[in-house]
Amino acid sequence: MIARELAFAVWVSLKTSGLAALIASAVAVPVALFLSGRDFRGKKIVLLVNQTWMAAPTVVIGLLFYSLLSRNGPLGGLGLLYTQTAMTVGQIFLILPLVVGFSYTALRQVDRRARQTALTLGASRRQAGWIVLREARLPLLVAVLAGFARAISEVGVAMMLGGNIRNATRNITTSIALETAKGEFRNGVVLGILLLVITFGINILVQTGLRGRDGES
Amino acid sequence: MGGLVYRMERVGYAYPQRPARFSLDLDSLEIPEGGILALVGPNGAGKTTLLMLLAFLLRPGRGRLEFLGRDPWTTDDAAVLARRDAVLLTHHPYLFKGTIAANVAFGLRIRKLANPEIGARVDDALALVELDGWGGRSVAGLSAGQAQRTAIARALALRPRVLLLDEPTANLDAALGLRMEAVLREAGREWGTTVVFSTHNFSQASRLADSILYLSEGRRVEFSHENCFSGTASTDGRTSWIEPKPGVRIVFPGEARGHVTCVIDPSEIRLVAADEGGALPPGPNVFRGRVSRMETTDPDTALVRTSGDLVFRATLPIHALETGRISLSRNVLLTFEPGSVRVVGERPAEARKPS
Repeated sequence: MIARELAFAVWVSLKTSGLAALIASAVAVPVALFLSGRDFRGKKIVLLVNQTWMAAPTVVIGLLFYSLLSRNGPLGGLGLLYTQTAMTVGQIFLILPLVVGFSYTALRQVDRRARQTALTLGASRRQAGWIVLREARLPLLVAVLAGFARAISEVGVAMMLGGNIRNATRNITTSIALETAKGEFRNGVVLGILLLVITFGINILVQTGLRGRDGES
Repeated sequence: MGGLVYRMERVGYAYPQRPARFSLDLDSLEIPEGGILALVGPNGAGKTTLLMLLAFLLRPGRGRLEFLGRDPWTTDDAAVLARRDAVLLTHHPYLFKGTIAANVAFGLRIRKLANPEIGARVDDALALVELDGWGGRSVAGLSAGQAQRTAIARALALRPRVLLLDEPTANLDAALGLRMEAVLREAGREWGTTVVFSTHNFSQASRLADSILYLSEGRRVEFSHENCFSGTASTDGRTSWIEPKPGVRIVFPGEARGHVTCVIDPSEIRLVAADEGGALPPGPNVFRGRVSRMETTDPDTALVRTSGDLVFRATLPIHALETGRISLSRNVLLTFEPGSVRVVGERPAEARKPS
């Protein structure tokens, strides 16, 4: 595997998984804020469905979207199958329940008095919502990073929706699968270590940046 | 003093999650501008719920609550504006992550004040609560008392029209508590702030407030506090008692612990002439006394003051003075049912944390 191909696979992984984590978080965090701040009939069922979805195997999500995006599927006309966009969409749906679940837990752990205090000090409901998010920023970041880690390390969705096309949709995990199938275990292990280093590096960068800004220990 | 800040009519509130356990019902309540009102009552009396209603954090389930002559719940924006005039300081205040100064400045930034004004107000407020120079410190690791003072400073920095305080000195030691009382009184005087605070401490209420609202089980309690006693409560599970003096027990039903303030309505005390040295009849709440003063409160009723182990005031029909041979300096027996004793203040027995 030449360096250029390797660099492209890393780029595909970072791009598709990063986008998936950002888009999923943009949906999941407001949903979690709503769920954590309100009690309504059917809330337990919503949480149960989310937990079940969280445990869905990646190949099941891949298969679902494959059937939707394949030529004969209802969304076949969009021509998205075997593109990076399809990989991103699949990964969004894969990690969405995970980010909702982790964000919900993070926001539930923020003291309920935080919102009340913001309100009594003159904040509007929207401002108070932002305050709650700010108070939970570190655990929320963990939720987003967990989603990113899940997306960048999965292989089922990337393989089924991306097709592992060289210099197009091949990413780190599908490269590892390919190298292993070819008997090139050394390449597979190197790619695996690279995947871990990338995830570790992003974690360190983001957490250090946040702590430095907030002066938290 | 100006007009009314709050006007409540038949206001009720019940928590949706626990409808059977508690509801607040107040026929009417008017709070004048610039006044200091104390809310006194045992745990679960409804003091915090009333403060939350006055802070517009809870919306009345029924009745009418007016703030400065208007209904604050007409729109979300109206409620936000009303909240900016009435700031609540909770019993266990929440401090946002960050520095003390950032916390004190929070409400000022929400109100979009200019930075120099914010800096000056933060410094002033921190000086008032004796935290000068602490602004740059993180709130992590503050003691309960320091956190309470930071929260008081955060509320004072806003110079609000109404300051609502839920047991404001609960986490402070006695000396600092008294100094904070002076700060709150001064704030009221200087800025014309109306202060409403809850307390278990009957003497604090009497010391600070222009008027006192007694609450019990979500209702206003009307009584004359002529017979008011405080002490540490003991209980056997069915009844409890305090000893205002060693060996002198006032018994009341239910379970109570900690420092308790209770009152007995003068009309609930029975008074009969007795021979000195005679045996006391059996039963709780029987006391010996001597009539030290008698006066008429209306054409039919007399108020009798007795001295003895405890000083009591009892009211009885004037004709009963003659038939009962009650006269000045007469030895008397005073009795009242345990159910006549009304607990108006109850502070848990937990140790106070130092500030």
